[in-house]
Amino acid sequence: MLTLGLGLALGAAFGALLQLSGASSHTKIVNALRLKDLTIMKLILIAIGVGLVGVHLLDLFGLANMKVKELYLLGIILAGVVFGVGFAISGYCPGTALAACAEGKPDAWVTVVGGLCGALVFAFMFPEIEEHLLVVGRYGPVTISGLIGIHGLWIAAPLGIVCIWLAMRLPEPGGA
Amino acid sequence: MKKDVPDRYETSHEDARPVFPWWAGGIGIGLVLIVAVGLVEPIGVSGQYVVLDGVLLHSVLPDVASRSPYLAKTAQGWTLATYEFFFVLGIPLGALVAAMVTARFRTRVVPIEWKRRFGSNPGRRLVWSFVGGFLLLFGARFGGGCTSGHMISGISQLAISSFLFSAALFISAIITARVLYRDGGSQC
Repeated sequence: MLTLGLGLALGAAFGALLQLSGASSHTKIVNALRLKDLTIMKLILIAIGVGLVGVHLLDLFGLANMKVKELYLLGIILAGVVFGVGFAISGYCPGTALAACAEGKPDAWVTVVGGLCGALVFAFMFPEIEEHLLVVGRYGPVTISGLIGIHGLWIAAPLGIVCIWLAMRLPEPGGA
Repeated sequence: MKKDVPDRYETSHEDARPVFPWWAGGIGIGLVLIVAVGLVEPIGVSGQYVVLDGVLLHSVLPDVASRSPYLAKTAQGWTLATYEFFFVLGIPLGALVAAMVTARFRTRVVPIEWKRRFGSNPGRRLVWSFVGGFLLLFGARFGGGCTSGHMISGISQLAISSFLFSAALFISAIITARVLYRDGGSQC
């Protein structure tokens, strides 16, 4: 019960932040991908910068519950390409579509329905996909720091600062 | 000095005007991630589409649902009462409250940039929204995560798969957007 409440609260905070910062707006996303308005890129970069430093500080004290995703070279690239096409066509990602649904955007509702169908089709295709595609270049859940063999903070701190710096350097909309 | 915020956007459109500046939204999302990693686990959204699929299918056709090992594993116990699902449930809830409180709840079928390029036919927009959503979640489950799980959570953990997924995603999305919106010829 407590964990459900916590989930709902964190999710609500996430959804509210997406809404308030314009990440759930089709216009903002499409113009980011058209490289006309980089607000969303700036937002993602600073979120990653803060995340990198924070998560690895937690990890330094043994407090981070990490969950690293598996690397399978061919599959990950193909998946990213498919996702990217869907991202540009719909103008939403799986999370922001849900936020846009709640602000009364019917095209986001349809995106979510399409997403449920896509996820279901994938679920039934999974055995074949796993057998043929996920085996190519499969390395398990590897991280950069794990590969080199040092604590993540050594990479996360400078990389996080670079992300935040880059976020500040990218132009604001209206400048162009 | 620059003019006031609303005038800075050449297309003043109802859903294009954020309340928070990018840095506030970004830092906020970073903090949500840190709290989530500290208390439970990194954030993720796309897997819960599979969970909802699984639970719905299991309630109508339990045999068919059980036949997919992927579905059975992801929607473990065929239940929605999990931390992960409630996190995803919270997203529209938080967005709704945020939109209401800031008086930015507005409905429209065809978004402005789409209308400019493809006209105001709602059927056309909805069909392509479906196709887009389908590819979005197919790709996300194929890659094991979406913008939240791979890009924000994954890169923050220095996961190599997440760097690769994000790079492929952005290259593909930027090319698709250029082709779709015919920006190729212009110099922007």
